[in-house]
Amino acid sequence: MASFEPTLLARVDKPNSHRLEGYRADGGYAAFERALKDKQPVDVVTQVKDSGLRGRGGAGFPTGLKWTFLPKDHPGPIYLCINADESEPCTYNNRILMEKDPHQVLEGIMLSCYAIKSPVAYFYIRYEYGTAYRTLQAAIDELYDAKLLGKNINGTNFSLDIYLHRGAGAYICGEETGLIESLEGKRAWPRIKPPFPAIEGAFRKPTIVNNVETMACVTQILRRGNDWFKSLGVPPDPKNPRDAGSYGPKLYTIAGHVNEPKCVELPMGVTCRDLVEKHGGGVWKGRKAKTVNPGGLSMGFLDCNSPLKGEDGKTEYDIPLDFNGPGKVGCLGLGTAAVTVVDDQTSMVDVLHNVCQFFSHESCGQCTPCREGTGWMLKILERMRRGKGRKDDLDVLVDVADRIGIIPGTTICGLSDGAGWPVKTAIRKFRAEFEAAIEAKTASKYAKLQMVGAH
Amino acid sequence: MGVLSEEIKNRIRAYLPRYPRKQAVTLPALHLVHDEYRTVSNEAIVEIAEILELHPSEVHDTMTFYEFFKHDGDQLGKTRLWVCRGLACMLRGAYELLDHCEAKLGVKCGERTADGKITLEFAECIGACDGAPACLKNDEHVMNVTNDKADQLIEALKR
Amino acid sequence: MPTVYVNDKPVEIGTRKLNCVQVAELAGTLVPHYCYHPGLSVVASCRMCLVEMGTLKDGKVTMIPKVFPGCQTPVKDGDVIVTGDYEKRDPLTPKLAYDAAYKPGDRAKKSQADTLEGLLLNHPLDCPVCDKAGECKLQDYSYQFGRSQSRLVDEKNTPPNKPELSSKITLFTDRCILCTRCVRFTREISGTAELQVVGRGHHEEIDVFPGRPLENKLSGNVVDLCPVGALGSKDFLYTQRVWYLKTADNVCPGCSTGCSIHTDVNKDVVQRIRARENLDNQGYWICDEGRWGYHYVRSPERIVRPLVKDGAGRKPVAWTELLPKLKYAVDEAVLMSPKRVVVVLSPFLTIEEAFATGSAFKKMSPFVRLVLGPVPVVGEDDSYPKDVKGNPVSPAKFIIRAEKCPNRKGVEAVLAKLQGEVIPFSAVLPEFGSLAAVWFAGGYPNAEWVNEALKAPHSPPALLVVQDFFLTKLAEAATYILPATAAFEKDGTFVNHAGYVQPFPRAAKAPAEARGELQLAFDLGNRKGLATVSTIRKDVAKAMPEYAALADVKVPVGAGKRMELQTV
Repeated sequence: MASFEPTLLARVDKPNSHRLEGYRADGGYAAFERALKDKQPVDVVTQVKDSGLRGRGGAGFPTGLKWTFLPKDHPGPIYLCINADESEPCTYNNRILMEKDPHQVLEGIMLSCYAIKSPVAYFYIRYEYGTAYRTLQAAIDELYDAKLLGKNINGTNFSLDIYLHRGAGAYICGEETGLIESLEGKRAWPRIKPPFPAIEGAFRKPTIVNNVETMACVTQILRRGNDWFKSLGVPPDPKNPRDAGSYGPKLYTIAGHVNEPKCVELPMGVTCRDLVEKHGGGVWKGRKAKTVNPGGLSMGFLDCNSPLKGEDGKTEYDIPLDFNGPGKVGCLGLGTAAVTVVDDQTSMVDVLHNVCQFFSHESCGQCTPCREGTGWMLKILERMRRGKGRKDDLDVLVDVADRIGIIPGTTICGLSDGAGWPVKTAIRKFRAEFEAAIEAKTASKYAKLQMVGAH
Repeated sequence: MGVLSEEIKNRIRAYLPRYPRKQAVTLPALHLVHDEYRTVSNEAIVEIAEILELHPSEVHDTMTFYEFFKHDGDQLGKTRLWVCRGLACMLRGAYELLDHCEAKLGVKCGERTADGKITLEFAECIGACDGAPACLKNDEHVMNVTNDKADQLIEALKR
Repeated sequence: MPTVYVNDKPVEIGTRKLNCVQVAELAGTLVPHYCYHPGLSVVASCRMCLVEMGTLKDGKVTMIPKVFPGCQTPVKDGDVIVTGDYEKRDPLTPKLAYDAAYKPGDRAKKSQADTLEGLLLNHPLDCPVCDKAGECKLQDYSYQFGRSQSRLVDEKNTPPNKPELSSKITLFTDRCILCTRCVRFTREISGTAELQVVGRGHHEEIDVFPGRPLENKLSGNVVDLCPVGALGSKDFLYTQRVWYLKTADNVCPGCSTGCSIHTDVNKDVVQRIRARENLDNQGYWICDEGRWGYHYVRSPERIVRPLVKDGAGRKPVAWTELLPKLKYAVDEAVLMSPKRVVVVLSPFLTIEEAFATGSAFKKMSPFVRLVLGPVPVVGEDDSYPKDVKGNPVSPAKFIIRAEKCPNRKGVEAVLAKLQGEVIPFSAVLPEFGSLAAVWFAGGYPNAEWVNEALKAPHSPPALLVVQDFFLTKLAEAATYILPATAAFEKDGTFVNHAGYVQPFPRAAKAPAEARGELQLAFDLGNRKGLATVSTIRKDVAKAMPEYAALADVKVPVGAGKRMELQTV
């Protein structure tokens, strides 16, 4: 690929990239002020809808379409919630945006609030992002000082407050209704839907929940136009009438066993192999990749050595990382586009134990299948890691993993789809390795490490 | 005479105008109290509940869900040092780092050193995978933490 | 007519807003559930009520390839619901046109079995020592919908029990399935919010805030609500195996709401009171006073045989000896000075008792005065839910009435019918000592209510007959003291504060030497034949058109039905 100029990350290496002054010097807030002056809210909604922007939080739902679900002529208030709970393991693109270019995100929020007529944005940020929290608060303070936030912005009727709201270390707060419940001061048990948040969300008012990177994309769409946005990425698959395409730039994060773990911006559709080999500096220590988790743990695993059917010489490693690619090899989806590489010297038992440990710790405990299923899967992996695995365990694991989630319909939210997916993809794709580990009866080097009782 | 200072109570009350319902101030209030007192005692919960016009059980319910706040009788050290155990960090030595920190500090995860300086914790993925293995010093990332770097960090925190 | 199909069976829903659980019930199909309760908000979290759904259009069924929580999913015209029990449907019902590859009910059946496997994963399976055994939804549904074996080989979670959840209620934490009905009850109905969930994931537990136990006046409902053996009533704990209990559907005599209740009895001893759903009356709940207030029937202080004055004290007397004397004394008083004979009918009597007693005396002489017994009022009506400051919130979801008797309205109606006016007890007190005879048909569970009504001491009338449970100040002065029977011990009818008429059957036999109020009325009035409630109901229906329906009430034979043993 020829040289690609990053847009979302264009300013991150500039000195004081987080300050308002520099952001304005680079043309920041011009799009917002122009929209305020020249555009009706509905124009902004239409533009975002027509751009083909799909949410960057994980599910890939078309952003503009979501906005149109708000009730028409609602007396208000309507709320915007920003999902900066970024807790999907191995994901950190939002953090980079918030720490390095907060104003790009805030401008997107301001544009979105203008579009959906929201007077308040609640910016829900995970506790672990203290630096991002303080950076954002400083940026918001700058905006109030510059009268770009508050009452009657630029003399218009549009008023907006943005409030940061810190989480407290719970993954489920990234689920949009879990986030809303948490914002309201309750345990973050996701709500049953319908009603969807656009109809009844935060404080029982119509609410839109959008991701941080989505907001940055809104800024750039309003600044550069839809032609630019659609010139990047992958158009809809003509064979799939339900595919909305994968347009625009995307932040990919690379982690795990690579030489250069980092966050890169690329047009949607880069292959997994290119991302790791060209942008991540290749697998570390001269080793080979065994498996890649293509979009955060929830998405499951691909087998780097498994040939792709009908595509000569290619393996699952070569799938494109657009909204459709990972699904073609049995993964749940693109997710957060956080790519984690596992080298060929690593035990899948240890990897899967780590996964189950996470989901068991983070299951909110509301729905029986997920609460009990994630706990059970961890107990099995815990035993397997001690070298006490049984042959039946693999079938139980796959059975449990298959049956939990919103896809089979057994849970309220998608956390458990994400808890099941890595388990079933790992076992289905690496069954021989698991069977060998069970047969060998050897304990993992990590077996003695106990982290159960802590916080 | 309550356990929360008037100053903390006022800081809690300052959050009220931000939200249409008082209950929404639960997490901000818990953070304020936890940061200041290094624990959230039952008395503190009662006082938070009074400000927010809630039952103490409602505040407690929310608080325990997050498994983040130290309960009555459990005290946080001056610094809370979290070692990330997420997959990206695990692949790059997080478990070994956790082991090392436990040995170095002489405490298990979730415990406080005898001098009250450090509470060691594990964390689920802290979103610092570009610097794995990573730690959180309270809420600030510390990247690429080798055993040596951990030792230096701990020394500095113990001073 | 809008129609929904449940396991192929068409159900007309009309304009009703129903969910799948409700519509299946109309079709005669049980969709098992734990967290769902019609009196509480829907959370759809237990995932026991999973069903398959589709639509029927142009004669063809299109099913959605997943399962849905029945409790959360509303139905509309043309919806097709297939439950895990599809195989057990009525074979005569014509089968809908499903896709050939679709296997009706397989998905729902597996999902339900999976949910049960999850619920039982950490469950201690201690049924032999669990009070709930025999009426446990975990047992019942496991038997009907579950698998017989658990595949868990690892250790179970063993959270600590919480015996001090309240003075009345204990929590067996390890049996809890986290349906959160109890938590929702305290938040939505009582509003007192003592209960909470603590923790997260598979380490969640129900608990109270330290130092704030589950003490509110509706607390016992959480025991009824608990579908498993987690929440136990200490009053009942380890006293009975439920399969020995017989249950009568009757009415709580504790206040003027007259809550519909189940009275559980073993060998004619009341063991337990539970709420009985009645949306025409109180709804789904009862108060703790009603639930645990039945103990007076078992009190060792209770008067269980007739007593006659004997010097300064009193001595037992046999009915065979007493009855002729009693009749003679009453007849004489009525004959000599009927205007100075007063019959006090307490608001604890049933309509039938008040009518039978009142009309027996009125037949002796129309000048006999019928008086409404003391009406106990304690405090003020207590309305729930409460807000955080303890103030009632409207709309009220449950009200504990200040008027602590079940049938003032009914007795008043009888009095109005028999003598055209209701004379309050206080009106006859000034002339008490100068009366020729007072027949006091009481039945007050609390002696103080009578003592308070007497206010100052009065010299007794020439003949004082007191029928009651306890030795009140009035009873102490009586010539004859007769045992009263409790609401649980008789067939009858109460009319509540709102005029709601509830006939009810007997749950237990009265003490052996007690003579029922109806029988005594027959005895005094020289009436022949069996003193049964249906006989009197016919009289009441004839005399009082507003109660005409009582003539047709079917009185259940015996003391209710015996519970079926549903476990293996």
